[in-house]
Amino acid sequence: MARISKEERKTTIISAALKLFSERGFYITTIPDIAQKVGMSVGNFYNYFSSKDILAKELVIYISNYLGDNIREINEEDIHVSEKIYKIVSMYFDVANDRPEMIEYFLRVYLSNREVFGDGCEGMICVSPFVTEMMIFFDDGVSKDELHNQDFFSAFGLFMGYLGGMVFLFGEKILPQPLDDYKESISTNIYNALKAR
Amino acid sequence: MITKQLIEQIEGEATLFFDTKDGLVESSTTSFENFRGVENILKNKPLFDALVITPRVCGICGHAHLMATVRAIEDLYKNSSHKIDISDKAQKIREFTLIMEIVQNHLKWIYFTALPELFKLKNIDKNSTQLKGAYGSSIISKAISVFAGQWPHSSYMVAGGITCDPTYVDILQAKDYVDQFISFFEKESLGVDIDKFLAFESCKDFNNLDSDVSTIEKLLIELKMNEKGFAHDRFIILGEHSFTKPSKLIQTRKYAVNSKYVTTEDSYSPNSKSYAKNALYKDEYYESGVLSRMMSSKLSPIVKNMHRRYKDSAYTRSMARIFELVYLVKYSKTLLDSINIFEPSCVEVTNISKISGTGVGVVEAPRGPLIHRIDVENGVIKDYEIITPTQFNIGSSTKQKPTPAQKAMVGSTIAEAKFIFKTFDVCSVCTTH
Amino acid sequence: MITKNLSQQTYTMPSKQDKKPKLLWIQGHSCNGNSHSFLNLPNLENLIDNFEVIYHPILNSTHSYQEVTKCKLNCDILIFEGTFDYNLKRADISVYEVLKHYTQDAKMVVAVGSCASFGGIFKEISPESCCGLVFDKDKLTPPLIEQKGKVINLSGCPVHPKWLGFVLTAFLNEIKIYLDEQLRPVELYSSLAHHGCSRNEYFEWKVDSKNFGLKEGCLYYEQGCRAPMTHSSCNKILWNETSSKTRVGTPCFGCTEPDFPRKNLFTTQTNMSIPQEVPVGVSKRSYLTMAGIAKTFHIKRLEGKLIDYKTTD
Repeated sequence: MARISKEERKTTIISAALKLFSERGFYITTIPDIAQKVGMSVGNFYNYFSSKDILAKELVIYISNYLGDNIREINEEDIHVSEKIYKIVSMYFDVANDRPEMIEYFLRVYLSNREVFGDGCEGMICVSPFVTEMMIFFDDGVSKDELHNQDFFSAFGLFMGYLGGMVFLFGEKILPQPLDDYKESISTNIYNALKAR
Repeated sequence: MITKQLIEQIEGEATLFFDTKDGLVESSTTSFENFRGVENILKNKPLFDALVITPRVCGICGHAHLMATVRAIEDLYKNSSHKIDISDKAQKIREFTLIMEIVQNHLKWIYFTALPELFKLKNIDKNSTQLKGAYGSSIISKAISVFAGQWPHSSYMVAGGITCDPTYVDILQAKDYVDQFISFFEKESLGVDIDKFLAFESCKDFNNLDSDVSTIEKLLIELKMNEKGFAHDRFIILGEHSFTKPSKLIQTRKYAVNSKYVTTEDSYSPNSKSYAKNALYKDEYYESGVLSRMMSSKLSPIVKNMHRRYKDSAYTRSMARIFELVYLVKYSKTLLDSINIFEPSCVEVTNISKISGTGVGVVEAPRGPLIHRIDVENGVIKDYEIITPTQFNIGSSTKQKPTPAQKAMVGSTIAEAKFIFKTFDVCSVCTTH
Repeated sequence: MITKNLSQQTYTMPSKQDKKPKLLWIQGHSCNGNSHSFLNLPNLENLIDNFEVIYHPILNSTHSYQEVTKCKLNCDILIFEGTFDYNLKRADISVYEVLKHYTQDAKMVVAVGSCASFGGIFKEISPESCCGLVFDKDKLTPPLIEQKGKVINLSGCPVHPKWLGFVLTAFLNEIKIYLDEQLRPVELYSSLAHHGCSRNEYFEWKVDSKNFGLKEGCLYYEQGCRAPMTHSSCNKILWNETSSKTRVGTPCFGCTEPDFPRKNLFTTQTNMSIPQEVPVGVSKRSYLTMAGIAKTFHIKRLEGKLIDYKTTD
């Protein structure tokens, strides 16, 4: 049997943890629960993540890197900002569809349980890879005169608040259509709000 | 007959055309042949950029331009109903650095212009002590840079005040530099301490002195400069400062003035195209600079005494410059002592992009009034007019209506006239901005 | 931004002089700022003593400028101040002719100030005919492009007296002067104006200055400070042996760089609150990652007043 690398093991734990947190809830899920799902001893588990708090933070960083890497790929494409917006919205909604536990963790655990993340995840440190890519996106758009210049948080809040809100409604099963059907209109609305005058 | 003379090392060059009869000047015209067009460069630039551009009009009095710009900007804010009240502290520090710039200017005039030119006129081949002027100025520059960061070319004055926020360490450091300069100047240039010098009452007090300054006084008398170089005996001061106030003087009678009556006209220079413009006050030519300020000041009985005896001769003008240097150095320390460091350095101002209108900034630069007039739309310069002191003194007009320098040169030999020309302390770069 | 590497442009020394080398200082369109800055050089007297000054706009010279324009003399070091202009005449003689003549025999040509190096402020007099001696902003150009092997650019507005002092002293001591791609001495222009700024800690922790006239805060975020993008030694070799622009709260205007003067000199150009330009050689991604993290933390000491006078009662 081929030796599984430590990194791959870690990723397996992360996926399992996200799923369990999503199905059963953050506080109810225990380390033994996760260890059992992955098929390792609790002792061995602690070799990878020394506490539930550490695991909680690593999950945020993992999601942040995942989303950040995807946005970076889009940023590096030589396309108009309106297309980039569509692709970012698309990517975000695809993650919500295919790996709902990721977005759910972010919205329902990270944003809603700040006390867990207070020490070591102050402010935006843990979501830095993701936020940095959004900064690059905005900076690029303004310097190319495709987006109008405004305060960063006004623009960021509009974009991310909108996406988060839609995914939340999706999670609550309030949206009548599948998420995919909203990609076009949402992208257009975002572009219209941010585009150069 | 007309003789053409190129005058060099006057912060650039100028050409004088002398019309002589029997070896004496009957009339002359002056031509400044270079032109940079800073006023054009400033058009359509964001207004605050002028704080960086205008000091580059001149290397020796750039600080005065900076102050004229910032005053014009603050006047603009006032005219647009957004009046800015800068703190006393900011006002005094600006004044201090301006005064220091005037002092280094006069010191350089003593060593790079007065002494060498006087020796040349007397055919004395004296080994030059020029670099005393550079050394003394470098100490003054240190005092300036305590607040302004550097000299030349600082932009530390901004709308609302100044960029620096000094502590007592800085204030005392500046004072120390001034003291260093005073020690140097007393020993190397004056030959007596400055309080004694300021207590001089008449020219006789120079008799017992043996120094660079007393040499200048002696040579001026020997060359009969007290009988030559008379201008119109009319003086003007337009900048408002703690050390001088706006006024005009006809001989010694004082009248009120307003800079809005200053106009310019093209030079009269039939022999060569001149880019300089003459500056007039209510259509008349007035002398500006050291003699004007010393005549209007209450502090200087000796200059007034000299004027009583020798009117506005080249002698009086030259001695006035030396006395102003010493007065200002002494005054600068009083100014430093009066600064309250706990006042704010710079108040907040309305965003300039919301401001439109006109403004005027007037400053007493080393050579006289410097005027900046601005016309701004939404924070962008529509028009910028600069009038420099050399335009008041060294204009070029007709024989019938000569400017101060033109009048002063009448009746001398060409060699003497060239010296008399330089007693006005000419700044070619300012004039051809 | 032109990337730097130790260039092939180095100025090599001539053999030892038997008598004093001749120094000639001429000008294009100038404000004389560099001439006056040079007068502030400590120990100027001793340095100048080593040269025969053919002509200088202020100092004692062996000849008048008028004599110089007759183009019968020669010099070892030619110093040029101000913007070069093909159409410019001074004392009735074309400056171009004077420049051409004296460049021939000169062992070293020094462009003092940003106008002579890149065009500077006075290039705007007449952009088509005005430029530096070898560079027009950041492009190579005549008049002296063919002779660029003997040209040194000392950009700055004005030049720092000690930078010129260094070049002249190096010449006298036969020391090799290594130059960057803009022909500026690397030993003076490799550091940034940012190095040695007394507000560095505020830069590190992204604490911006709220207004002018405050001791606290970094001027990079809002007041337009160009120091992290500007090659110079201003905060290492202090001005007038005393201070610098940023130490007195004035933003650096980037005056040693080819693009001086820029526009909106007291404002930082931002795109959605993100600085348009980040420090030389640092990628935007790297900078924003660091900045994002630093901005997260609120360091109380750095957000309050630097000096609390009240506690001294």
